Amino acid sequence: MTAAPSDATALTSVLVRLKLSLLRNGLRQSAGRRAAYIASVAFALLFAALQLLGLVLLRGDRHAATVCVLLVAVLALGWAVMPLFFPSGDETLDPTRLVMLPLRPGPLVRALLVASLVGIGPLFTLCLATGAAIALAHGVAGAVTGVLATVLALLLCVALARYFAAANIRLLTSRKGRDLAVLSGLVIAVGAQLVNFGAQRLGSSGPSTLDPAADVVRWVPPAAALGAVDSVSEGAYVTGAAQLALSAAALAGLLALWRRSLTRLMTTPDGSTLAAAGPEKGASRASGALGALLPAGRTGTVMERGLRYVWRDPKTKAAWVTSLAIGLIVPVFNALQGTGSVYFACFAAGMLGVLMYNQFGQDTSAFWMVAMTISTTRDAYVELRGRALALLLVTVPYAVLVCVLTTAMLGDWPALAEVVGLSFALLGAMLATGAWTSARFPYSIPQEGYKNVAPGQAGLAWISIFGGMVAAALICAPVLACTIWLHAAGAAAWSWVLLPVGAVYGCGVAELGVRTAAPRVARRLPEILVAVSRG
Amino acid sequence: MTEAAAVRVSGLWKRFGEHVAVAGIDLVLPAGRFIGLVGPNGAGKTTTLSMATGLLRPDQGTVEVVGHDVWRDPVRVKARIGVLPEGLRLFERLSGRELLAYTGRLRGLPGAEVDKRATQLLDVLDLAGAQHKLVVDYSTGMRKKIGLAAALLHNPEVLFLDEPFEGVDPVSAQTIRGVLERYTASGATVVFSSHVMELVESLCDWVAVMAAGRIRAQGTLAEVRGAETSLQRAFLELVGAGGRDAGSDLDWLGGGPR
Repeated sequence: MTAAPSDATALTSVLVRLKLSLLRNGLRQSAGRRAAYIASVAFALLFAALQLLGLVLLRGDRHAATVCVLLVAVLALGWAVMPLFFPSGDETLDPTRLVMLPLRPGPLVRALLVASLVGIGPLFTLCLATGAAIALAHGVAGAVTGVLATVLALLLCVALARYFAAANIRLLTSRKGRDLAVLSGLVIAVGAQLVNFGAQRLGSSGPSTLDPAADVVRWVPPAAALGAVDSVSEGAYVTGAAQLALSAAALAGLLALWRRSLTRLMTTPDGSTLAAAGPEKGASRASGALGALLPAGRTGTVMERGLRYVWRDPKTKAAWVTSLAIGLIVPVFNALQGTGSVYFACFAAGMLGVLMYNQFGQDTSAFWMVAMTISTTRDAYVELRGRALALLLVTVPYAVLVCVLTTAMLGDWPALAEVVGLSFALLGAMLATGAWTSARFPYSIPQEGYKNVAPGQAGLAWISIFGGMVAAALICAPVLACTIWLHAAGAAAWSWVLLPVGAVYGCGVAELGVRTAAPRVARRLPEILVAVSRG
Repeated sequence: MTEAAAVRVSGLWKRFGEHVAVAGIDLVLPAGRFIGLVGPNGAGKTTTLSMATGLLRPDQGTVEVVGHDVWRDPVRVKARIGVLPEGLRLFERLSGRELLAYTGRLRGLPGAEVDKRATQLLDVLDLAGAQHKLVVDYSTGMRKKIGLAAALLHNPEVLFLDEPFEGVDPVSAQTIRGVLERYTASGATVVFSSHVMELVESLCDWVAVMAAGRIRAQGTLAEVRGAETSLQRAFLELVGAGGRDAGSDLDWLGGGPR
C-alpha cells in the first residue's frame, strides 16, 4: 500500500487525535491522576513563565549567551534521557504498537513528530527556547534567526527523544529496561544533589566560570541554533549561518536515523522472542564462591538468596542503595558543615536496620515457596535469623566504617568506641523490631513503578516502620541511659565500656526479637502470604 | 471406596467478603491416581487447592493429606506434598538452577543430593540450556516447568498443580505430561486443576467437577462421563450450560457478501 500526500496529512491528524485521546482517557481513569496532571501542568507553566520572564530580563546581560546556550543544552540532554527512565510516560512513543498497520516510514515519522509536539514537555521547551531567543536577538536579522532557532531547537529536542526511544525500545520494553526505570528515581535524586552542589559553587564564583563550556556547547545542536541568534545579533553572519546550518543538518540526520531505526524495528521480530532464543551468556553456579563461605543448611541458603537479591532485584537494590547512601550522607555532610556530632553516625545503623522491616513483603507472593518449607517455630526462627545474618554481613562493617569516618572528620577519637557500641545496640534493636513487624504487619511491595506500598496498605506500612522505630528507640534506652550516666558522672574515660556493652546488648536484643517473632511467623503463614501478594 | 485416600476434604468453606468462593465441599481423592479438578473460571478450584496445601486458611472444614491434618500437623503434611500454585510468583531473580538449589536446601535435603536431582530434573524438563538464565526471563512454559521441578525435588507423595498447562506450548506440555505420567506410575498422586476438558479426559482416571464453589460430581472418568459421549458434554450438562446456543445472531459472520 502506498501513502499519497493526503494520506500523510490524514495520518498526522489521526496520530495527533490518538495522542489527545490517550491523554484524555488516562485522565479519566482516576481523580488522583487528573489532579496530579493538572498540578504538573500548572507547575510547568508557572515555571516556564518565570523562566521566560527571567530570560527576557537577562537581555543585554554579559552572560546572557552563556546562560541561554547552556540551558538549551541541558534541556536537550533531558529530552534524550527522559524516554530511558519513563518509557511508559507516552504510549505513542512505542511505535511497535503500530506495527500491524500498513504504514510507510516517511509519513509515519512526520506524523509521529507532529504528534509528539502535543504535551506539557514541548510547551515548556517552546517557552524556554522563546525566552532564550528573546534574550539574545537584537535587530531584524537577529529576530528572524531567533524565530528559526526556536522552531529548530524545539523540533530537535522532540526528535532526539523520539530517536532515543526508538533506538532503545528493545531495552525499554525488556526486563532490563523496566529494572532501569525502578532505579531511575535514585539517579534523579543523586543528579539533584549534584545540581545542587554545582549551583552552590556557581553562586560563589559567578557565571563566568561557565564561559569555556558555553563556547563549546554553542556549536552543539540544538544549543547551536541559539548560538546562531547570538552570532547574528553580534554581526557575525557567517558564524551564525554555520551554526544554524549545523542545527538543521542535525535535525535532518536525526530524522533519517529515527526513520531507519523505525523501519528496522517494525520489520524484525519482537525483542522478547529474540532474547528467549538468544545464546547463553554468563554462567551462574548454583552455589558459587558466596555459597562456600556461608554456613550450611537453611541459614546459609536463606543468607545466599538474600544477598543475591540485594544485587539482582531492582526494588531491593534501590532500598539498599538508599539506606547506604543516606546512612553515610547525613552524618558525613553534617560533619563537613561543622554542625555534626559523632552521635549522628548511629544514623547509619538506624537506616540499615530499616531493611529488616517487611522482610516477607520483599519476597512478594514468592513467599509461598518459603511458607511451604516452614512447618515449625524452629523453621521460622532459622529463616528470620538467616535474613538478619545476611543483613549483618553488610551492615556491621558499614556502620563501623561510617562511625570511623564521622569520628575522623570531627577528630573526636575518644568517642569512637562509644558511638560504635551505640550503633550496635541500635542495629540489634532495629533487627528485633524488624523481625516483629515482618511477622505482624507485612505489606506488599509493588514490583513495577516507584511505589513501595500497595494501594490500601499505606497505614500498615506506617505502623510497621514508625511503630518499629519508636520501639527500637525504647529498646535502646538502657544503653542510652548508661551513656548519659557515664558522661554526667564525669566518667567519660570509661566510655569505651559501651562498645562491648552495646555489642552484647544488640546481639541479645536481636536474638530475643527473632526468637519471639518466630512463633508468630509460623502461626500466621497464610495471613502473611495474603498480605504480601497484592503487588 | 476401598482405596486409601490421598486427600480427604470435609465441609470446606471460604468466603471473601460477600462472595462465597468455596461453599462447603466434601472430597475424597484416592491415592495413586491422576486426578483432575475441573470447572469453569471462578468455580473455586484455586481457592480449594490453596486451602488443601496450607497456603490459604479455610473459614471452616478440614483437609487431610495422606492421613494428616493440613492445619494441625503441618510438619508431616508439608514434607509430603509438592505444590505448583497459579498466580503466585517464584523467586524470579534466581536462575533456574539456583531456584532449585534454594528450594531443595530449604526443604532440608543435603546439598549434593539437591544438585544431583536438580541436574536430572533440568535435563528431563528440557531446561538444561536455560538453567543459568534468570527465571524472570523465562517464558510461561519454562516457568511452569521450573515450578514443577521445584515441586518434585523432594519427591512428594501428593502433587498439587494449579493449571499446570495454562499458556504452555505443546512441546513443553508434552514434556510436563511425560514427567507426571512417570510419577503417577510409581504410585504417587497428582491433583491438578484445569478448565480444558480434552486434556483432563486424556490424562486423568479420576475427576471432580466444580462449579460455583460446589462439587457437582466426583468419581472415575467413566462414572462422571456417564451416558454422555465426552467429558466436555457431561461437564456442560453438570454446570447447566448444555443447551446454550451461541452465535445465532451473528448470521452475517462468514460466507456471503463482505
